[in-house]
Amino acid sequence: MKGKCYIQGTAAISPQPTFEGDIFQAPLVHTDSNLLACIEPDYKPFIPGNSLRRMTRTLKMGLTAALKCIQDSGISTPGPIITGTGKGSLQDTEKFIKEIVEYKETALNPTPFIQSTYNSVNGLIALQQKCTAYNNTFVHRGFSFENALLDSIMMIQEGASHTLTGAFEEITKEHFYIKSRIGCWKSAPVNSQEVYQHLSPGTIAGEGAAFFTLTGAATPESYAAISGFRMLYKPSEEKLATALRNFSEGADLIICGRNGDSNHEHYYDVLDACFPGVPQLPFKHLCGEYDTAGAFGLWLGAQILKAQQLPASWFPMQDQLTAPVHSILFYNHFFGEQHVMLQLERV
Amino acid sequence: MAERVFITGVGMITAIGDDVAGNLHSLRSQHSGLGYTEYIDTIYRQVLPVAEVKHPSESLFALAGVPVKDGYTRTTLLGLIAMQEALQNAGIEGVQSAPTGFINASTVGGMCDTEKVYFDIIDPGKNGTFLQYIDTLDCADCTQRIADIVGFSEHIATISTACSSSANALMFGARMIRQGMLPRMVCGGTEALTRFTLNGFNSLKNVDKQFCRPFDQQRTGLNLGEGAAYLVLESESFAKANNSRILAELSGYCNTNEAFHPTSPSPDGDGAYEAMKTALAMSGRSLEQVEYINVHGTATLNNDVSEGKALERLFGDKVPLFSSTKPFTGHTLAAAGAIEAIYSILAIQHGLIFPNLNFSEKMEELSITPVTQLLEGYPVNNVISNSFGFGGNNASLVISKYEG
Repeated sequence: MKGKCYIQGTAAISPQPTFEGDIFQAPLVHTDSNLLACIEPDYKPFIPGNSLRRMTRTLKMGLTAALKCIQDSGISTPGPIITGTGKGSLQDTEKFIKEIVEYKETALNPTPFIQSTYNSVNGLIALQQKCTAYNNTFVHRGFSFENALLDSIMMIQEGASHTLTGAFEEITKEHFYIKSRIGCWKSAPVNSQEVYQHLSPGTIAGEGAAFFTLTGAATPESYAAISGFRMLYKPSEEKLATALRNFSEGADLIICGRNGDSNHEHYYDVLDACFPGVPQLPFKHLCGEYDTAGAFGLWLGAQILKAQQLPASWFPMQDQLTAPVHSILFYNHFFGEQHVMLQLERV
Repeated sequence: MAERVFITGVGMITAIGDDVAGNLHSLRSQHSGLGYTEYIDTIYRQVLPVAEVKHPSESLFALAGVPVKDGYTRTTLLGLIAMQEALQNAGIEGVQSAPTGFINASTVGGMCDTEKVYFDIIDPGKNGTFLQYIDTLDCADCTQRIADIVGFSEHIATISTACSSSANALMFGARMIRQGMLPRMVCGGTEALTRFTLNGFNSLKNVDKQFCRPFDQQRTGLNLGEGAAYLVLESESFAKANNSRILAELSGYCNTNEAFHPTSPSPDGDGAYEAMKTALAMSGRSLEQVEYINVHGTATLNNDVSEGKALERLFGDKVPLFSSTKPFTGHTLAAAGAIEAIYSILAIQHGLIFPNLNFSEKMEELSITPVTQLLEGYPVNNVISNSFGFGGNNASLVISKYEG
């Protein structure tokens, strides 16, 4: 990756109280249901009531997180809008599949079809912001948000002053059941706080929306710099180890996607072996596992680098920071297939 | 100065041909692929025309050169057939011979197969091999299955921006090359017909019961199609060092959003105008140097007015020859941008302007009409190919004849 880009603004809707208030004082939300659902904010300050009624959950979460991010960045000039989502609006997809059968293909309401389109959130953000700039949506499991990030970094290299870059995902009850049939989730309920201690096949499900305003230049308000980025598709353990070693030197802290899934834990063991002694913060007990959980991890890293402290209730297993954190290595993978490394630096 | 991006291989399958040569033959003989579905379970089987690839999925396995296996959707198989032709056409025996990325596009992933087993999947009382289709519910499934068979491991991505998806895949791949990230990319899209999409567009009252009539006063909507197409893109330096056979240059592109309406274009074609204008500026070609425009031309009421207005605004009274090839292929959604990019290359290579079938009456809103007869021996150096979609996602590509 050439050059750096900077996180100038961010917002997240997640299973934790991340949307408003001081996250460093926030309690830890946990569940025994193997499904961490988002704490949804009051959408009314962001979306007019008549639009709100038509919109389904993913659209509301995605649009609201995007708008809050724009507020947070202080940059209101519209620029490129680039997002990632693995599944789009599941609720709308499920509804339209069922209505086709229920109404025998006649007199169907087109709204769920329109909203099931993966780029519908992007279109809404553009519409809301009257933004005619570049607009793209990536839909590739654990590379969805990451390709959006790559596209954004390229946009900045090509001369864009900033991008709005984000990800959104929902988990429905129906999709949770579907994925349970192929062993994605743990078969017995576990306390989400203790997911790392329950090493067994499967993990816990999650969801969330996180957005970032990325810029080519730093300001005193920047959260963090993204200075390194690599994606690896289905690497061998050897290839992963080589890539990790070549990628990062001297990180003060590691944020990793560990999730208690014994089927794919061995990749995190590779990480441990590459960087012994570097403190690690796993984050899936906060947000659960989903295609674009990497965006939540990046949000967390950015918050820690800017504030130079940890949200204490979220990491009872970790002592508070004693020395400044200058550099964070982020590593995550999605069910062993899409592997992502990011290098974050303090501005 | 970023490198130029060349197209060095093409592969495709549509309702009018199982490969590029088959497509060219049908275009030349003005043979449309529109008809009625053999494979979708719908009450509209005899009512709404579609452009279906003329093989059951079982036969597609043979064409794709893979053994019949659960979990391979029609979307994947169509993609694999087009992919293999594209690689062969580019003279690539193994994609590992040089660092090569794969950018795919899809609107509904494996819905063509999952919609048939969805109610079994959600029924705890049912068990069976249909469970192998669970992963095919998303758009990445087809990309990864194709990548795993062919051997892509460098960079993979899937884009979904409705009907402009594969135009954006080409753009993203070209940008990665120009940034020096990879020397070679394979980009395009794959789309299989589904009951889901057919009912979706029908619920929007956007589907014509007759064969679609782009840019015609009497047009009432689109016909859906299916297919897949991929283009091999190479950087100039790689193509030269590799001694690649260069088919054409991807000289310009632009992606804009209209920010007008979730499903309708603006009446004056603001997004289409901006996309074409900016793509052409990037290509360094003038308005006069464009000999042909392969329009999006879906034959919906809104698209053709909007796109036509944009053409008139950009080119004034000198609008180049233009036609929609959707009456041949149907609207293949995520695959359309890549299919029509290949048609643009064929126009340049063979000096052809394809006819806009089913046209008879000029639209009252426009002063221009599409080409209705096949033109042969017509020198074509620069083509604009348009793809516009839901969410206001507009994309234009400029494809140019290769000149040293």
